[in-house]
Amino acid sequence: MSLSKIAQIDRRYLYVVLFILVSIPLLSPLKLPLPISAQTRRVYDFTNALPAGSIVIESFDFSPASITENKPQAKAHIFHAKELGLKVVALAFWSTGATIGESIMKEVYGSDFPNVAGYGTNVVYLGYVAGNEVGMQTFGDDTSTAKSVDHYGTDVSTLPLMQQCEDAADFDLWAEWTAGDPGINQVIQFVQGRHGGPSAVPIVSGATAVSVPGMMPYYNTGQIIGILNGLAGAGEYEYLVNVAYPVYPYTQGPSLDAQSVGHLLIIAFVIIGNIGYVISKYRGGKGS
Amino acid sequence: MIPPVGQIPPEFSLLAAIFGVFITIFIYSFLWKENPLSRAVEHLFIGLAAVFTLASMYEAAASTAYWGTEKISGGNLLWIIPILISLMYFFFFSKKYFYLYRYPVAIVAGIMAGMMICGMVQSNFLAQIQATVKLPLIGAEAKWDTWPPTGLNNIIIIIGVITVLTFFFFTWEHKGPLGVSTKIGRYFLMATFGAAYGSTVMARMSLFIGRLRFLYETSYEDWFWAWYLIPIAVLCIIIVALWERSRPKPPPPAPVTAKPAPAEAPPPKPTEEETAKPASPAAKPAAAKPARKRKSNG
Repeated sequence: MSLSKIAQIDRRYLYVVLFILVSIPLLSPLKLPLPISAQTRRVYDFTNALPAGSIVIESFDFSPASITENKPQAKAHIFHAKELGLKVVALAFWSTGATIGESIMKEVYGSDFPNVAGYGTNVVYLGYVAGNEVGMQTFGDDTSTAKSVDHYGTDVSTLPLMQQCEDAADFDLWAEWTAGDPGINQVIQFVQGRHGGPSAVPIVSGATAVSVPGMMPYYNTGQIIGILNGLAGAGEYEYLVNVAYPVYPYTQGPSLDAQSVGHLLIIAFVIIGNIGYVISKYRGGKGS
Repeated sequence: MIPPVGQIPPEFSLLAAIFGVFITIFIYSFLWKENPLSRAVEHLFIGLAAVFTLASMYEAAASTAYWGTEKISGGNLLWIIPILISLMYFFFFSKKYFYLYRYPVAIVAGIMAGMMICGMVQSNFLAQIQATVKLPLIGAEAKWDTWPPTGLNNIIIIIGVITVLTFFFFTWEHKGPLGVSTKIGRYFLMATFGAAYGSTVMARMSLFIGRLRFLYETSYEDWFWAWYLIPIAVLCIIIVALWERSRPKPPPPAPVTAKPAPAEAPPPKPTEEETAKPASPAAKPAAAKPARKRKSNG
């Protein structure tokens, strides 16, 4: 079969090849080397440098569609925060994120969450905060106005942690796990921008890979301290946490191997497709 | 071990895993060919999403405005005002009172415009300009002795910002030095789109890997593995696809043809004035267009 014919091959054959090649590393991990990106390193280092007792906002702004990327990011970061003795206030500005967020909290703090030691003093789960951008801005201005009860119906005025976390001036770090809007753009505009900028409300974020290029200008300006880039960022952060706390499992290795194989395959497809295109154009065809 | 998903009680874990396998395979069968099972799963997803959103919004509204010491249940009747305003959205469905629907829309649009202007100007405009102006090109911060040099990156950023801005400058024709600048700006934009496309591929690949790991790794009490069900799900798709193929196909829609003028109403006779004037091109009778041939996607 000539290259020009290969360029016009039925896409379903490509799906089959992709399925087979991506499955191999998942069934038998290749254990490829894992370089840690500067963006991930900055999230880890900044979190690590926070003194015990600092208040971290963990915002689950994603849906089941991006659970593969966002959930391991958020889970590893919350575990890291817990081990460092940071106080975690978790919430979601996406209604779909509230349910996933609760499952993450249960995985990190125990299946009995919220009936665990330290609930109300070291950790609080507020659940879904309605209002999108308006909800975010209200939460930054006055947390109890945005959500007067936690996810389980307890009045926040009775929770000691929420007495220490009244507005954005009390946030030592905002960790934004996002798959769209409202997400990182809105946190920067309506919380960080209104309350003193990056030095007053530092932000780290874990995002779906598709949205990271749009976040890079914020990263370059320092409005975002660091970014976990999709599944790769989740794997890198998991690896760093696993090195510091071996009890936390590094589970994303096979996924990253599979992703590398998948990317190589797509690069090969693109090269072959372009060679076929050039050949067919050179021979006087339409080239499409 | 079945990973916990939301609020699924343990006694339904096996059912959830079985359901998850079938749903995953059915939705991916769309890549082979659209079939009744893939369509059914799409509809299921949309229905579930709609119901979930409705329930979440109702719960959020109740907890924001009704339940609480300072809310309606605590005697603070001021919260009735936003509830009434939000209920005015439902006048969208009334022809007679449709104008009332415009009030909540106007309020929300006004609030959002005010908020966005302040937020955007600060975070997306002033902060970005400040950061670009302050980029170090010389000195210790430029780090020319490392690879890649920070100074070089900063020069590329500055060139990119200026040339891309000139690309969107339409006062003068893009010729001469401006033409060169816009051309470079176009290459920067293409590189940005390429990066965005690459990231999109990466994100989609991640989702695919997530589903594959679900299929390969989900188990229940050491006797059930999710991948046992993959061949059964594939068999279901093949059976349904064959059944659909065997069904009699509906007749193709009749081609649209121009209707002949009714015989009972002959065209009015031209008056003397009209007969004297030469017929304008616009007055030419429209020829019946042949029915457009539909393009096949395949």
